[in-house]
Amino acid sequence: MRRHLRIPHLGGAVAVILHRPHATVAALSRQLEAIGLRTQCQWPELSPAVQAADYLFLDVDTAHDDQFPWPPGRAPMPTIALIGSEAPGRIEWLMNFGADAQILKPVGTAGVYSALLIARATFDARAEMNDQIDSLRTRLAQRQTVVRAVARLAARGKTEDAAFEQLRHMAMAWRVSFEEAAARIMDGPGGDKEVNDG
Amino acid sequence: MGEASHRGVMQGIADVNADNDLDLTFEPVERDPAGDVDAYAPLGEDILATSRARHIIGCTTSWSRKEVIPTLERLNGALWYPVPYEGFEASDRIVYTHACPNQHLLPLLEHALGAHGRRGYLTGSNYIWGWEMNRLARQVTVAAGGEILGERYLPLGSTDVARIVAEIAALRPDFVLNQLIGPSQYEFIAEMAKLRQRDPHFASPRCPVLSCNLTECELPVMGDAADGIIAAGPWFRGMPARSAGRDRGHGFGSSFEVAAHDSVMMLARLLNNRPGAEDLPLSQLLSLPVAGQLGISARTHHTRLPVAIARVQDGAFSVIRALEPIDGDPYLTGARDMPRAALRVVT
Repeated sequence: MRRHLRIPHLGGAVAVILHRPHATVAALSRQLEAIGLRTQCQWPELSPAVQAADYLFLDVDTAHDDQFPWPPGRAPMPTIALIGSEAPGRIEWLMNFGADAQILKPVGTAGVYSALLIARATFDARAEMNDQIDSLRTRLAQRQTVVRAVARLAARGKTEDAAFEQLRHMAMAWRVSFEEAAARIMDGPGGDKEVNDG
Repeated sequence: MGEASHRGVMQGIADVNADNDLDLTFEPVERDPAGDVDAYAPLGEDILATSRARHIIGCTTSWSRKEVIPTLERLNGALWYPVPYEGFEASDRIVYTHACPNQHLLPLLEHALGAHGRRGYLTGSNYIWGWEMNRLARQVTVAAGGEILGERYLPLGSTDVARIVAEIAALRPDFVLNQLIGPSQYEFIAEMAKLRQRDPHFASPRCPVLSCNLTECELPVMGDAADGIIAAGPWFRGMPARSAGRDRGHGFGSSFEVAAHDSVMMLARLLNNRPGAEDLPLSQLLSLPVAGQLGISARTHHTRLPVAIARVQDGAFSVIRALEPIDGDPYLTGARDMPRAALRVVT
């Protein structure tokens, strides 16, 4: 799959850095500001204002789940891991946290810009994929409704294939999804209730 | 180009040493990597390790500049980089004293889109300068409602330009953005000149070739074929030459010499009347108020530069638009305002 990078608007964007006061923070802030972002260092706790940040950098050496007001993997903004120790336990924590990009410490002048671009693109791709998964889950849950709707149309003397086609045409005419069309048939006159009563 | 930078530096050193208002003199420590990209880091290390010099002025390609950065970091050195480049860098060990894209490509495209039309063709040599410049040019052109009719690259050093010229002849764009370098560029310009002679559609001034990095250094080798090229840069021969707020009064040959000369003059002004400042890290030196007065940004380490758009005519540049100086914006994250036209147009 060929991906096209959309350059995010970074001028004036806010980056929060969750790291104790340290040379790493100074170097990272310097580079973020050179790129055009505004930075806030927060330690040891994230303020509620973090929810409005455009990017979050976090120190994997010291991070733990309680520091974040969201469940693992559900950060509401792109996150970038600052990795010092490469101990397996820390990497495992990072994998569960689900950062969108990473930078190895010590932080220099290289790596920050590419991490911002990669984190934004990865975050957006993940959000889009989650939307698709939600949509597929909903459709999966409506499978039973579709089966019933086809059965009901078939009960009027059609073959199953013909009933299926009829439902497809109804969905197209109503400009709704296949599942939504099935739900309308079952909710409409002569729906489940009537069938059951009959 | 390296020779032009060298001349500018040597003139700057001579000027500093002759200036009684400055309490310092410079002594050059010279190393010549001769364009061998693997020689830059060792020779930079040699300068920083075996002499008291902390500031190096040099490098032409982006590749050589990136090779030197680790050495600068390890040995606490600084690099003044005096040639145009593609942006997207802000090392705290480097001062960028020539133009980046918001000071060359963007004003050049704005001029072309307004004066020649919205249909562009992109060409370049296969390396980072060409790729990045053309990516940005495509983005800006499309955002302005224009379109890119074609985009084609040649390996470095290749003179196989026939296909590119044939495509341009067939597509008839309003302008061609040329990021070819060296022999590829010379051959391409020569073939475009032939196209202009045989096809009246391409008669000058239609479908100009645009360049972000062409200077007087390369005009002699292209001869008459270069006529009509439109270039952007901070300075062209014939423009007033001011450095650090003073008239230079030299007959500089190109903006390469000017930027190298300016680098030396700015360094001298930063160090002047500050005993021991020669050993300060670059970031501290640039946080002095005088750096801002000289037009150097402590935030990005890029410099404020004028922007001129010029057309090649009879082997020289003729300035068609001169714009007010603007800050370098290496990541293009600042306000996207295009530079305003200067009140006085230099011709």
